[in-house]
Amino acid sequence: MRLILTILALFAFVGCAKSPEPSDAIVKVVGGCSSSDIVVIDIKGRKKSDGFMQAQVIGENRSDSYQNLEYRVVWLDSEGFAIDTILSKWNSAPAYANQPFYINATSPSAKAKTFRLYIKRDKEVICDKQYNGQ
Amino acid sequence: MRQTIQWTIILAVVGVLFSGCATKTTNIDINNDKGEAVMGLDYRDFQGAAQDMVESLLASGAVTKKDGSRYVLVVSRIVNDTMQHIDTDQLVKKIRVGLLQSGKVVVTTAVGLDGAEDKMSMHAREELRGNAEFDQKSVAGKGSMIAPDLSLSGKILQRNIRVDSKTQRVEYYFQMTLSEIKTGLAYWEDERIVAKRGSNKSVAW
Repeated sequence: MRLILTILALFAFVGCAKSPEPSDAIVKVVGGCSSSDIVVIDIKGRKKSDGFMQAQVIGENRSDSYQNLEYRVVWLDSEGFAIDTILSKWNSAPAYANQPFYINATSPSAKAKTFRLYIKRDKEVICDKQYNGQ
Repeated sequence: MRQTIQWTIILAVVGVLFSGCATKTTNIDINNDKGEAVMGLDYRDFQGAAQDMVESLLASGAVTKKDGSRYVLVVSRIVNDTMQHIDTDQLVKKIRVGLLQSGKVVVTTAVGLDGAEDKMSMHAREELRGNAEFDQKSVAGKGSMIAPDLSLSGKILQRNIRVDSKTQRVEYYFQMTLSEIKTGLAYWEDERIVAKRGSNKSVAW
């Protein structure tokens, strides 16, 4: 009898341990682009002949381990309004140990004039930078 | 008597276990979903594939017309060569939306491999043309439909690979081609691979 109760008690603790969703799924902004081992060296944009804007970000992973970063580019029109597009979802960017990494993005339409870049590692945004140069 | 009490306790504990462990239903925040990956394809895979395809297409310049006007695109067959029951519109619709938003492409719904996608576009013309109840100036005349310039076709493939007795790898290949109908030449092609590793007990269909 004791054995059965013990097994049931163990089952109670183990069986309920997993939740379908992580509890800390909220993105937390922690700082600029040079406060961690991921450093953004250069961020630039250009308007192509077909009207689309192209963004290039050069960064560096100064840690000794490979990091799978995620980035998101929010494209803004001439009045500063965000352009609604599927191209502004989080995307992955590999950053190899002690090496530079490159992020290239193309605007969703010719309406884009500037962009804002977010880079995150795990659930933490480690870079939030806006390109305004033309 | 003692045995009855014991069994009552066991049944009560089992009851609590089953009620306490019921999975709670929650809405997923699809903009920041860090839920566990699944061996099959889920919305995150389709979203990622569509995003990559649209960006690749726009960056290639294949949908930019020299005179600044828009290309007319028809969606051809997207073959589902996986073991899953996939509605390929989960991928294609996102790509269509992205291309329409680019302002470089319009999609025709009057042509399709299995007839018009929107049957009403043809039906309304035939039904209303010559019908005295309708102002004929408002009825689409003959020769007013625009033929497509480009065709978008593709394939989704699946490969299951046994890694060891406990692990398997499932690879999904999203392949897409944009062809010019006039010449039959492919102006753009791309592939995105989604690979997953998991238990052999997981079923990828």
